[in-house]
Amino acid sequence: MNIELILFGAFALLTLLSAGMVIFARSPINSAMALVSTFFFLAGIYVLLWAHTVAVMQVLVYAGAIMVLFLFVIMLLNLGESPTRGRPTLARLAGGAATVGLLAVLTITLLKLPQGASAMGPEAQASFGTMATMGQVIFTQWLFPFEAVSLLLLVAMVGAVVVAKSRI
Amino acid sequence: MNLPNLVLADFLPLLPAIIMVAGASILLLSEVFLSATSSRAYQAVLTVVTAVAAGAVAVALMFEPPQEVLLGFGVLDPFSSFLTLVVCVGLGLAALSAVSFLRKRGAERGEFYALMLFASAGMSLLAMSNELITVFVNVEVLSIATYALTAYLRRGTRPSEAGFKYFILGAFSSAVLLYGAALLYGATGTTQLTAMVGPLGAAMQSQPGLVYTGVVLVGAGFAFKVAAVPFHMWTPDVYEGAPTPVTALMSAGVKAAAFASMVRVFITVGKGIDPQMLLALFSTLAFLTMVAGNLLAIPQRNVKRMLAYSSIAHAGYLLVGVAALFVTAPGESFRLLGASALTGGTALDVARAEALRGILYYLLAYTFSAVGAFAMVSALERREDEEKGTAWDLERFSGLAQRRPGWAFAMAAFMLSLGGIPPTIGFMSKLLIFQAAVDAGLIGLTIVGVLSSAAGVYYYLRVVVYMFMRPVPEGAQVLERSWSTELALVLSTAAVVVLGIIPGPVMGWLVQASTIFGQ
Repeated sequence: MNIELILFGAFALLTLLSAGMVIFARSPINSAMALVSTFFFLAGIYVLLWAHTVAVMQVLVYAGAIMVLFLFVIMLLNLGESPTRGRPTLARLAGGAATVGLLAVLTITLLKLPQGASAMGPEAQASFGTMATMGQVIFTQWLFPFEAVSLLLLVAMVGAVVVAKSRI
Repeated sequence: MNLPNLVLADFLPLLPAIIMVAGASILLLSEVFLSATSSRAYQAVLTVVTAVAAGAVAVALMFEPPQEVLLGFGVLDPFSSFLTLVVCVGLGLAALSAVSFLRKRGAERGEFYALMLFASAGMSLLAMSNELITVFVNVEVLSIATYALTAYLRRGTRPSEAGFKYFILGAFSSAVLLYGAALLYGATGTTQLTAMVGPLGAAMQSQPGLVYTGVVLVGAGFAFKVAAVPFHMWTPDVYEGAPTPVTALMSAGVKAAAFASMVRVFITVGKGIDPQMLLALFSTLAFLTMVAGNLLAIPQRNVKRMLAYSSIAHAGYLLVGVAALFVTAPGESFRLLGASALTGGTALDVARAEALRGILYYLLAYTFSAVGAFAMVSALERREDEEKGTAWDLERFSGLAQRRPGWAFAMAAFMLSLGGIPPTIGFMSKLLIFQAAVDAGLIGLTIVGVLSSAAGVYYYLRVVVYMFMRPVPEGAQVLERSWSTELALVLSTAAVVVLGIIPGPVMGWLVQASTIFGQ
């Protein structure tokens, strides 16, 4: 039992707990705060995966910027507690059954994977996941998706303005 | 670290998308200098010119040999170029029908056409994507543009409901697609489709569960985008709530691009895994989609909603073609006719090439017929009736043949084409798809397809009956004419009829276009 495994277990458990709270909390503010902690614990898992850059981005962008906006909107709308949950309808039961089925398939699949660090492919290099490597890879080999992402950002910006602008 | 040495010529294959993005940028920038009362007539013209230019470049690129683009993250092959052409056709016709639609609502803005162009650029890039993350990013480019377009007019509750529903379900399906891509990456250690084939074969031995789960999740993500049953729930509400020209672009462009990407991903993945599994997957989807789409369309009195269900049904026919790509034992007819001896390939190769040709021709045929039909719907609807839900009632079409014979003829042509009745392009395309399915040995699926399209004829012909055999209702609205909508109608009617009788010219392109990179 090494320290990485213990840390992973702790982060995974806490991520699941806070993700559960996001769904089950009655007040939107509590949900949003639980979402912040979910993002933090997820960032911990990213660090354990040697994805430092992604971990930093996760904290900066999601837990930081996005969640501030989230809370701001919730307070602006002055949302109260959500009303009591409705009775189970056929659609909800079907949705629940599908979710449980998907979860079962994924769990069985992942449990069947070969164990051990090198079972899934070659050992990662020391520079893996660092800012320098990512920068080099993104701006050279991954040029096509990178350019497509810049188009995506432009489209998202224009789209947001169009939807949020005064009524047309 | 070996840095790639890119020159300007490496970006040439992206030219159609670059032209569309440039057109969109011009529209966005010029909008800044306009006041509320300025004339915006140039915007639709610019959009159409951009679409024509991009389409012309796509036709020129169709005769380039298949090649990798930007280090293999994309590929340029006749298949992707033909798809770009289909997207440009849909974009041009939808933009023409948008002119009077927007003017009647006082909603002319450069952003509308810019988002249409952005969405089409995303579709063109999606057809070229040969790597799973690139596929995902381009799916998002076209989806986010269409989400915003769906909610573009926000009077009343319908558009915002449609936009929100599309956004939430679309984001969810993108997540499913991404999760499947992550599982495939976990199984193979690469996201590049061409490089994935070898490792997939190895992964099938060591961890088949992971590969199958990944393939099914990616398939579910695509099935949502093409509105296949049981992932179709969003379609009727979104198609009805969106502005009609946007619905036209969605039904033609989004569907075509998603089908192209799905075909590319699964043809490549199918070489690494057992094709029987893909055959079972797509046959089931095709069966459910054809039957449910047609049955749900029959009771609709709302023409726009009927067209939405009909677009589900057409996704089903296309899925028959996709299923035919994955047969391993072609049907009897080949051995009888000796087609394989004539063309030089094996019976399997011929069956697959036929299926691919059928899919591409069907996409072109559906683009002309559906965009034309939606242009007609947008010419007849009136903003005031949208909330009451009567804006698209069948009653609107009553006696149209007496008031506007030209319009009625055009709409009849579109309906016959969607129903698959000769001599229209819709008949030719259905013939190609079902012929490919028979040659591939999918007899059962073909019978279901023919029977369900016969059921479909009922609701298409009902529109024709209303137009030609019902009297003009009292107090009917004045039908305003507009050059742009009529141009769109004339162009699509001409294509529907002419290509239905003489499919020759496009057939030549199709033989060329069924070349997929690496096949």
